[in-house]
Amino acid sequence: MKLRLSTGPHLLNRESTQTLMLDVLIALVPTTVAGIYLFGTKAAWVLAVAVVSAVLCEYLFQKLSKRPVRVMDLSAVVTGLILGLNLPAEAPLWMPAIGSAIAILLVKELFGGIGQNFMNPALLARGVLLASWPARMSVYYIPARVLGVTEVVPAGTDVISAATPLIRPGGYQLYDLLMGNIPGTIGEVCKIAILIGFLYMLFVGTIRWHIPVLFVGTVAVMTWIMGGDPLRAVLSGGLLFGAVFMATDYVTNPMLKVGQVIFAIGCGILVGVIRMTKAYPEGVTYAILLMNILTPLIDRWTSRRVYGMVKKHA
Amino acid sequence: MKLSFKGGIHPLRELHEGKGKTHSQPIRDFVPERVCIPVDMHIGTPSAPCVKKGDLVKLGQVIATPVGGIGIPVHASVSGEVISVGPRQMLGKTASTCIEIANDGKDEWVELSPLGSVDSAPADKIVQQVKDAGICGMGGACFPSHIKMMIPEGKSVDTIILNGAECETFLTADHRLMLEEPQRIVDGLRLIMRAMKVSTGIIAIEDNKKDAIKVMQEAISGLEGIRVAVLKTKYPQGGEKQLIDAVTKRQVPSGALPIDAQVVVFNVGTAAAIADAVIHGKPLISRVTTVTGCVNTPSNLRVRIGTSFQDAIEAAGGFSEDPGKIFAGGSMTGLCIPGTEVSLTKANNGIVVLNQKDAVKKQPTPCIRCGRCVEACPSRLNPQFLNALNDLSDLAGMKKHNVMDCTVCGSCSYVCPAKIELCATFKEAKEKITARRV
Repeated sequence: MKLRLSTGPHLLNRESTQTLMLDVLIALVPTTVAGIYLFGTKAAWVLAVAVVSAVLCEYLFQKLSKRPVRVMDLSAVVTGLILGLNLPAEAPLWMPAIGSAIAILLVKELFGGIGQNFMNPALLARGVLLASWPARMSVYYIPARVLGVTEVVPAGTDVISAATPLIRPGGYQLYDLLMGNIPGTIGEVCKIAILIGFLYMLFVGTIRWHIPVLFVGTVAVMTWIMGGDPLRAVLSGGLLFGAVFMATDYVTNPMLKVGQVIFAIGCGILVGVIRMTKAYPEGVTYAILLMNILTPLIDRWTSRRVYGMVKKHA
Repeated sequence: MKLSFKGGIHPLRELHEGKGKTHSQPIRDFVPERVCIPVDMHIGTPSAPCVKKGDLVKLGQVIATPVGGIGIPVHASVSGEVISVGPRQMLGKTASTCIEIANDGKDEWVELSPLGSVDSAPADKIVQQVKDAGICGMGGACFPSHIKMMIPEGKSVDTIILNGAECETFLTADHRLMLEEPQRIVDGLRLIMRAMKVSTGIIAIEDNKKDAIKVMQEAISGLEGIRVAVLKTKYPQGGEKQLIDAVTKRQVPSGALPIDAQVVVFNVGTAAAIADAVIHGKPLISRVTTVTGCVNTPSNLRVRIGTSFQDAIEAAGGFSEDPGKIFAGGSMTGLCIPGTEVSLTKANNGIVVLNQKDAVKKQPTPCIRCGRCVEACPSRLNPQFLNALNDLSDLAGMKKHNVMDCTVCGSCSYVCPAKIELCATFKEAKEKITARRV
């Protein structure tokens, strides 16, 4: 009888990197479906190209550099899908392809692969696209269809470009902001879908509530202080999508809860400042990226009390 | 309100911690044909054998005498002839001296010298009686109990906690003992309290053992100073430090002993053994152990100390599947055995058999910084960071970041989605730091 010897624990949790990524993908289903419904087949093509090129880039890089191929952990699928959801539906198909290549090759694999990137790959790719092709990236489109019943936006026949509701606040009713009948990227418009994904991830324990709630809460408070409409600020632009799906990326936010609180509030303050100065219509991308860069420092500066670090009892 | 601590995990939730197979199985006596008793079952210097091959010994006779300050004697757990005295490979790193006795089946006791009843036994003689009975911590630590019962100069103790949490997976030995023999446990607690002159005794039980809580509450009714504390079901609730934190809201200072938090903790089984020693004069010759996993009739057995794993597994119906891994204790901290000829010791609260499939090592993947380990660590360390330091072979850094406060409970490894062997890494690092005096 040959018995295996090892140190405990001998039976482990069933959760793995793959199951965690699968849970994120499940949480992204409502957003993806809503995005494709609202913007039509063009959106589906953008998402498909983003996902396929992300997986392909990772596979080829790992094969060519003779590293273990880890595409089955699904992290590249998540990166690709999130990047796609961050693009306008009208984006030419080379944009998701280039974006995915930047995300996977430049941000993730060149820094050592999964777990080693210091910025969110999809987000930095979006940042690069935004800086390189600002015209294509910052013109948003009104959805081709509407979700639910609405009086403001007519069921469009042709997609027309429009200013984002951030620039023209008050132009849309709350109902449309919630359902996604507003201009924006594929994934950010339908807030209901994002919230369903958020609740799913909370329910299965993929993420904790701290980062999204504190991030969004900080933006709301800042808007209120500056005399704006907090609810409208929260439901406009990419804030909710960024707070739920991008700021919560394990790799690029702090390890300790206290660090995560600092991270989330920092993100919120940066979004508030960027929106206030109107340098960009949309500050979420750069806010999260900046806080990603600060994460190692936050990790270094924060600590918690170790068990037994107490004054000795008499 | 249920008492708890920060951190911790809910292991094997889908299997109900693996306890379902045995929690309703009454304790069964099992006496083997032959026992092989190691003389180093307790922490401290091994005892010196005082019998030789061919000697006839009675049940409860001293077969090895204590050596050194914290030593305890070892007793024959069957009556019969000594077959051999010599080294055998047991659970330790090196071979242990063992005394092998063939059971003559008579169970003939040596002359016993009881001290008296719970109320009449002279308080100043209890500690010596416990030492003479060879009692050491039966929850797994094997620390000689009489040492714990002597309060050093300058220290004080105001609370005795009996540990009936049994938070480890699979094990139900303490659960059954509390259900079936609550009086022994309560008697033991009262004797400990009298010997140590402590007026508060708490029996701490996890709330997944509602029946045991009820039975123990009935057993202590009318007794002053003793109560049952209900704990939240969470691993490692029965870890000494976590238990003290949950029950008394005090923490054991880093690097210190529970007594520095004015608390001393005993396992419920140890308390029962103390009652037997004082009231009946019986030394520790048997204990309850759970034999479960891939065996045909998972059981709670009262086995003689020195019974081989092979005999205990056969008493539980034998293997139901080809075994891939067998460990002494639960799945979180259990010690793997190299072969089934190994003996059960005083600290052995369970035998779990895993099949070939469950024994396969999970291949680790890169850390994704998910923070599961940080959340789980009951010592409030940062396992992810400690592991990164270990990858750099930075033992001094690990020490600075409190790796010595790691209790090797295994929570971090259990929750890690990347299947990184964090706990094993820290255990090794702690050993290196101690050995090299980093």
